[in-house]
Amino acid sequence: MLLPLLLRECCSRHGLQVASSVRSCIRTPDWRELHSLRGPSLLRGQGRGPLDSFTEAFLLRRAPSRLHLQSRGAKGRKNYRQAQEEEWRQRNKTVLTYIAAAGVGMIGMAYAAVPLYRLYCQASGLGGTAVAGHDTEQVATMTPIKDRVIKVTFNADTHASMQWNFRPQQTEIYVVPGETALAFYKAFNPTDKPVIGISTYNVVPFDAGQYFNKIQCFCFEEQRLNPKEEVDMPVFFYIDPEFDEDPRMARVDTITLSYTFFEAKEGQQLPLPGYS
Amino acid sequence: MSTAMNFGSKSFRPRAPDKGAFPLDHFGECKAFKEKFMRCLRDNSHDNSKCRLQSKDYLECRMDKQLMAKEPLEKLGFKDLMDQPSTEKPETKPQG
Repeated sequence: MLLPLLLRECCSRHGLQVASSVRSCIRTPDWRELHSLRGPSLLRGQGRGPLDSFTEAFLLRRAPSRLHLQSRGAKGRKNYRQAQEEEWRQRNKTVLTYIAAAGVGMIGMAYAAVPLYRLYCQASGLGGTAVAGHDTEQVATMTPIKDRVIKVTFNADTHASMQWNFRPQQTEIYVVPGETALAFYKAFNPTDKPVIGISTYNVVPFDAGQYFNKIQCFCFEEQRLNPKEEVDMPVFFYIDPEFDEDPRMARVDTITLSYTFFEAKEGQQLPLPGYS
Repeated sequence: MSTAMNFGSKSFRPRAPDKGAFPLDHFGECKAFKEKFMRCLRDNSHDNSKCRLQSKDYLECRMDKQLMAKEPLEKLGFKDLMDQPSTEKPETKPQG
C-alpha cells in the first residue's frame, strides 16, 4: 500500500503521471507546462503545485473535484478508486444483507409451513383428513336423508401371524346419511394362550372416508382375548349428511369398511391417527 | 392405510373414533340384544333404518353393564326413538 503512495507522491512531484498498472512513471503534460512555463525550473520551484490543492481539498474534507482528475493525476485517481471501492463494499453489504434475510425467511417459512398446511388440509379436506367443524354435537342434531341409501359392506382381515378368527357378522347393511348404525364383527381366539390384538380400519372409496364417522368401535386399542374366547365387536358409526351434497360422491353407492387385526405386544400403544 | 404410491390421488387417513373404543364384552352380557338386532337385520334385508330400536336397546344394555360410557340417547343419534318405549323388555328402563 505504501509503495504506490510513495510512488505517486514522487511522480506527482515531478509532474509525472503514475500508470497504475505498470507502477512506473509516465510523463504527461502538466497544465502549467502547457500553458506557460517550461523546463525543470518550474518543476523545481513549484514541485508541490499539483499537490497543494488536493491536500487542501482532502484536509477540508471536500471530495476531490472530478475536473482535476486528468491533470491532478495520481492522488485524485486513488481517492476516486477508494470511493468506488467504498461504494462497492457498501453495495456488497446491502446485497449480502438481503440474501441473509431471504435465507432466514426461507427457514422461517419452512417451520411455519407445517401448521399452515395442516390448517389448509383441514379447511379443504384434502387427503381425507378430518374436515374442520366435524364435531360430536352434530350427531344429536343431524337429520337422516331418507332418499339416499348407501350400502355398507364389511370386510375383515388379520395379519398373517395373527391367529384369531375374525369376521363380520353381516355382509352388508343399508344406511342413509345422517343416521347412526350399528354393525358387528366377531373374533375368536383358537389358541391356548391369551392374544392381544390391535386393529385399524380402512374405508373405500378413499374420498368417502372423510364422511365416514365412527362414534365408537374397537380399533386402535388393545383388545385381549383369552384362550378359546369369542367376542362380539360392535362398530357404531354414521355417514355425515354432507355426503349427499358433495358432487364427488354423487355416484358413490357402496362403501366398504375393512378392519385388519394385528397382534400386539404387551403394553404397546398405537399412536392415534390424526393431528392430536 | 393406502399402499399405492400414487401421489396424485388422495389416500385414506384413518381417524380415531369419537368416543373411543368399546370395551370387550367378555361375558356376553349383551349378547341377547345383539342376537335380536342381527335377527332384525336378516328379516329386513339388512336395512338399518328398520332396526334402530334394536340397536338402541343394545347400546342401552352396554351402558347399563358398564361396557360403554353413559350418554344421553340424543348424542347417539336416537332422538327420534326417545319417545317410544323399548320393545319386549323384561324390566322397564327409564328413558332418556
